Amino acid sequence: MWDLRLPSGLFFTILGLVLCATGLWLPGHRAPLTEANVNLYAGAGMLVFGGVMLWLARRRS
Amino acid sequence: MTLAPVDYFIIALYFAFVLGIGWLIRKRVATSEDFLTSGRSVPLWITSLAFIAANMGAQEMIGMCASGAKYGIMTAHFYWIGAIPAMIFVGVFMMPFYYGSRARSVPEYLRLRFDEKTRTFNAVTFAAMTIFSSGISMYALGLLFQLVLGWSFTASVLLSAGIVLVYTYLGGLTSAMYNEVLQFFLITLGFTPLAILAVQRAGGWEGMASRLPAVMTHSWRYMDSPASNPMGVEAFGLVMGLGFVLSFGYWCTDFLVVQRALAARSMNAARNTPLAAAFPKMLIPFIVIVPGIAAMALMQMNLGYSLPPKGAGYNYDLTLTTLMAAFYPSGLLGVGLTALMASFMSGMAGNVTALNTVWTYDIYQGHIRKGAPDRHYLLVGRLTTIAGTGLSIATAYLAQLYNNIMDLLQLVFGFVNAPLFATFLLGMFWKRATGHGAFAGLLAGTGAAALTHGLTQAEGKGGWIAGLHEFPSTMAQNFWIAIFAWTACFLVTVGVSLLTRPRPEAELTNLVYGITRLPPPEPGVRWFERPAALAVVVGAACLLLNLWFG
Repeated sequence: MWDLRLPSGLFFTILGLVLCATGLWLPGHRAPLTEANVNLYAGAGMLVFGGVMLWLARRRS
Repeated sequence: MTLAPVDYFIIALYFAFVLGIGWLIRKRVATSEDFLTSGRSVPLWITSLAFIAANMGAQEMIGMCASGAKYGIMTAHFYWIGAIPAMIFVGVFMMPFYYGSRARSVPEYLRLRFDEKTRTFNAVTFAAMTIFSSGISMYALGLLFQLVLGWSFTASVLLSAGIVLVYTYLGGLTSAMYNEVLQFFLITLGFTPLAILAVQRAGGWEGMASRLPAVMTHSWRYMDSPASNPMGVEAFGLVMGLGFVLSFGYWCTDFLVVQRALAARSMNAARNTPLAAAFPKMLIPFIVIVPGIAAMALMQMNLGYSLPPKGAGYNYDLTLTTLMAAFYPSGLLGVGLTALMASFMSGMAGNVTALNTVWTYDIYQGHIRKGAPDRHYLLVGRLTTIAGTGLSIATAYLAQLYNNIMDLLQLVFGFVNAPLFATFLLGMFWKRATGHGAFAGLLAGTGAAALTHGLTQAEGKGGWIAGLHEFPSTMAQNFWIAIFAWTACFLVTVGVSLLTRPRPEAELTNLVYGITRLPPPEPGVRWFERPAALAVVVGAACLLLNLWFG
């Protein structure tokens, strides 16, 4: 049986990459009430979460 | 609010993963028990996250954020008083009987403990309620997406219900639970940035507190009388009505949540499921309620952020989506909306899987066709998934057409639910309680709830018999209806039980406290994996939160 950590890890890694890419290449995408590059920071966070999930899944198998 | 291609890509990516998980799990379904109960094989971290995710429907997320904006941190009572104590109780004291009796559903426990009529009453009302509530939340989601994104009501209802149907049809309860965990991660990671950004912009907790009336940032200080807080409730009604009757009635007897714990691998894991779930549960106010409070502070700051007006106040239901529009650029906006869809799906899948089991085992196998081969029940379970989804969609459209009927149904279901915990409490902890007593108690409790509603008024609701008493708010009225219903059920169950013949003790093993030999601690279970130890830690953490934000 496969481990749920594998698909969750994959999902958040892809999501993190997409958000980071959006943040880097389209830094003009800003929301009205914040100056921060929200996509980049949130993407980095999701990348870390996805990476940890993948690492846990790998460690188990 | 307009979406960019990257947002659509994120939504599509999520749909692909949810369907993929269902597709991968389909191979694990060979028997009706695999499909309907996961064959008691799911690891603890999944059962516990699914336990809270099934309850985190879209209405819960949107509603709690709205209440945060309307009532302030007091809304956290729905978690720190209205959920955690009951989750501790069900894990420590009730799970031994649910799991130990090997009942496949909560109504089935009632049949083992009491009799067929009590089971059937519970099963039928529960089945109707699950269809109703998934239909209502589908309606709410369709309406929200129509309003915020301009999507067609039919398209969003059919698409989201269709995806839930496919993955639950393929993999049953296991698929629903695995997806609930993914949905839980997405909801948490998708809403956390919003909470951080909104609170930071509003000047942190201190800044929010300085811009808002003190009642918004204290959960207990203004509970002495209904007149001093916007909820219009007092501490006693809150603790007894919400904290005891309604909360224990939901978390300890609602099959939607109990089903997730019953899917665990061992007794210890089943008991730990609600206890482990309590940790993330008590932190959810920080990502849904606190942003709502921040929204009210932001409105005082002349930043151009405002909730749309509605009547004399604001349309609070739009708090969450207007905050997203204010803080999320394209990209993360797609994640936020996907998280909202995920919360809708986890709530709906929870309803569908609970309905499947109750219909198949408690109604179909109990009354329509007994003793068929297992293959037959697997098929019935699968068909129920389709029928249940279809009925929910129909309910969503009915809700669009006849709002009044829906309000009435919601009220009636509330009457039926209010007394339930008294039945389970007496059933599990008093061996003398009988089937006739339980059934009479449930009817009396439901009747008492209706009678209380008919005799009292609040905000123009109720009082259809006579206006004997006026409550300061409908919330206070609901809490007191629950208190009266529970008390009536408790007293009538005790009275009728004493007048009817008790069941021999030998038949009550594994069903009632005092007769059941509780299982010895399983080998290899470390001290912090014991339910009692976990319960103490959870209880202490919850107490600290109440004191800190009091």
